Amino acid sequence: MAISTFMGLETTLRGILAQQLALDTTAHNISNASTPGYSRQSAVMAASTAFAPPSMMTPAQAGEIGTGVDVIAYQRVRDSFLDLQYRGQSMVQGQAQATNDGLNNVQDALNEPGDNGLSNLMQQYWSSWQAVSNDPENMASRQALAQSAASLANGFNALSSQLTTIQGQTGQNVTATIQNVNQLGAQIATLNNSIRQATVGGVQPNDLLDQRDNLLDQLSAMGNVSITNSTNGMVDVSIGGAALVTGTTSATIAESDMTSLTSGKLSGLIQLRDTTIPGYQAQLDTVASTLISATNTQHAAGFDLNGNAGGAFFTGTNASTIAVNPALITNPGLIAASADGTPGNANNALALAGIRNQTLIGSSSIDDAYSQLVTKIGADTAQSNTTLSNATALTTAINNQRQSVSGVSLDEEMTNLLTFQRGYQASSRALSAMDDMIDQLVNRTGRVGL
Amino acid sequence: MRITQNMMSTSVLNDLENAANQLNLTQQRISSGKQIQEPSDNPFGTSQALQYDGDLAQNTQYQSNVNDAQGWQSTVDTALTNVNDIVLRARDLVVQGASDTSGPSARSDIASEIDQLVDSLKAEGNTQYSGRYVFSGTQTLTQPYQVGSTNDSYAGNAGTITREIGQGVQVAVNVPGSTIFGDGTTGLIATLRQISTDLRANNGSALQNGDLTALDNAGTAISAQQATVGAMSNRLTSATSRLQQLQQATTQQLSNVQDADMAQTMIDFSTQTAVYQAALKSGAQIIQPSLMDFLAVG
Repeated sequence: MAISTFMGLETTLRGILAQQLALDTTAHNISNASTPGYSRQSAVMAASTAFAPPSMMTPAQAGEIGTGVDVIAYQRVRDSFLDLQYRGQSMVQGQAQATNDGLNNVQDALNEPGDNGLSNLMQQYWSSWQAVSNDPENMASRQALAQSAASLANGFNALSSQLTTIQGQTGQNVTATIQNVNQLGAQIATLNNSIRQATVGGVQPNDLLDQRDNLLDQLSAMGNVSITNSTNGMVDVSIGGAALVTGTTSATIAESDMTSLTSGKLSGLIQLRDTTIPGYQAQLDTVASTLISATNTQHAAGFDLNGNAGGAFFTGTNASTIAVNPALITNPGLIAASADGTPGNANNALALAGIRNQTLIGSSSIDDAYSQLVTKIGADTAQSNTTLSNATALTTAINNQRQSVSGVSLDEEMTNLLTFQRGYQASSRALSAMDDMIDQLVNRTGRVGL
Repeated sequence: MRITQNMMSTSVLNDLENAANQLNLTQQRISSGKQIQEPSDNPFGTSQALQYDGDLAQNTQYQSNVNDAQGWQSTVDTALTNVNDIVLRARDLVVQGASDTSGPSARSDIASEIDQLVDSLKAEGNTQYSGRYVFSGTQTLTQPYQVGSTNDSYAGNAGTITREIGQGVQVAVNVPGSTIFGDGTTGLIATLRQISTDLRANNGSALQNGDLTALDNAGTAISAQQATVGAMSNRLTSATSRLQQLQQATTQQLSNVQDADMAQTMIDFSTQTAVYQAALKSGAQIIQPSLMDFLAVG
């Protein structure tokens, strides 16, 4: 039993085609070396089915003869365990980043320690009362007190409104992030559909899978994401306990749908908006309201330059509404510096200045309570700095591991390029040899003596 | 570990970013001279700095209070010295008038001078410190005595004017005029009025006995007041030096917490600059070449 004369041509052709496909894959890798989320691919080669295939009527021959090579698959080099790790860390990092951004804004608003901070305005305010006590008959010192009290009130108003603004911006950021989540969900659902079609057709859609993994990476930075493999290569995705993608359909979720949001950017933002900033605001309000009530009580116990009992010194009830009684700014003579109605007595001014040293908020004075707020914001920010840098370092490390597996190494691709090019050349050479052989057989055989 | 070009560029970029961040922080420390740029740099240090800032502001204000108190006291002291002079002059006149050699006309002349002294005394009682009557008690805007009038009543009160010279430490800086000059029919002015009346009435025995004793008593009382004012002045001086020492110590503590250690910071800066430049250099050299540069494909 003999085999076909032309079998060798087929074998070399398979070699040429396979090397060409491998070269194409290498070119695809090189082109996508910088594409975010791209996983390198390799053409998996395997020997093609030998001749003759085993059967009851196997022809008598020495054995099976090889028929060359086939590309049986294009493999996507990716470690899904590293993806899981990356996404877990990305959730932590997203939360830390959101918290850190917000806290840094709060810290900038404080302007401490510095000459323009609230702390300095408080010192000027207390000193102004002392200055009035040195010169209670003098309109100039009273005017200076009214002005420094107004500056202090403005300082409280400004800080309070900045906190409110940051809180509002954080809320807007939550809305924008949820929109982003919904867009990502819609894109993932669309990709799910394409992947399903390809998978049903028996093909592994490597590039679509990369795109979907990239979207899932982005999504995981925003909240605690749970990804379940579904049929036909599709994935079901839920975020914060709300189903976002089910097969080829995506839901439009709202904040209230995410009932178990524990990490990610959204969790960080919501924590800031609902707990952290209102906490600071409340502490600031306590400082302001204590200042208002203590000052007004003591002020009412004194007498102004005309010998009348003092009215309200501050109006308002908290940091956002505190203001100096406008009547006192128009006529500083109404400031009740005297304890007995005589113009030279300034004991009430001294008592008002002495509020500085009274423990009115827990076991702290007004100054101390504000200083504690600054320290708390500073400590919270410092802690979030550390959390963020740890999370970033871990995310970077895991991403490096992922890159190590899936990233395109140009050195490696160059080596592959050489290998496949040489393979192509060698197969072509084999084809030429076959051709020469057949030429010998067809054109020269049987022409002895011609 | 398999290393790709992207990994290298990412890690070079990360390292550059870190080095630049460090350098930026150190540069801020050098240019501002402050170790603490924002509370998160050192939360506890920030609270200490705020505390010390507050202490310093309070200290400065106490020093200003002491200055004001000293101004007030020296005004009182000067007035009391003048009052003492007047009393001495009056005593000379009384001794002269009480002498049996003085006749009615001489006594009448002396009485006129005593009346002048009463007005001088009232003028001293109306002494002002930056627009305020220092002998009016707390009625500082009310003139306590009427000069050139026979009305000798005291228009001020017995109120005490206090200055705070330390936390919870208050000192009285005034002496109510009534305790020095008297009010109406009692006190120094009334004594001089009585002397003047006795001189005009040519009442030698009254002058020799009661009047002279009363005047001496008044003089002793004024000396005692001067001693009190002098003691207070010493107390203010020592308060000033105590406040200044405290200010120095607090400033030192604030500086320890808040200010950058320049030597250390400069060394950090040099080290970080070297690190940053090395990172830049290695970045420039590592990233470019790959196998591609050495292969001639085709």
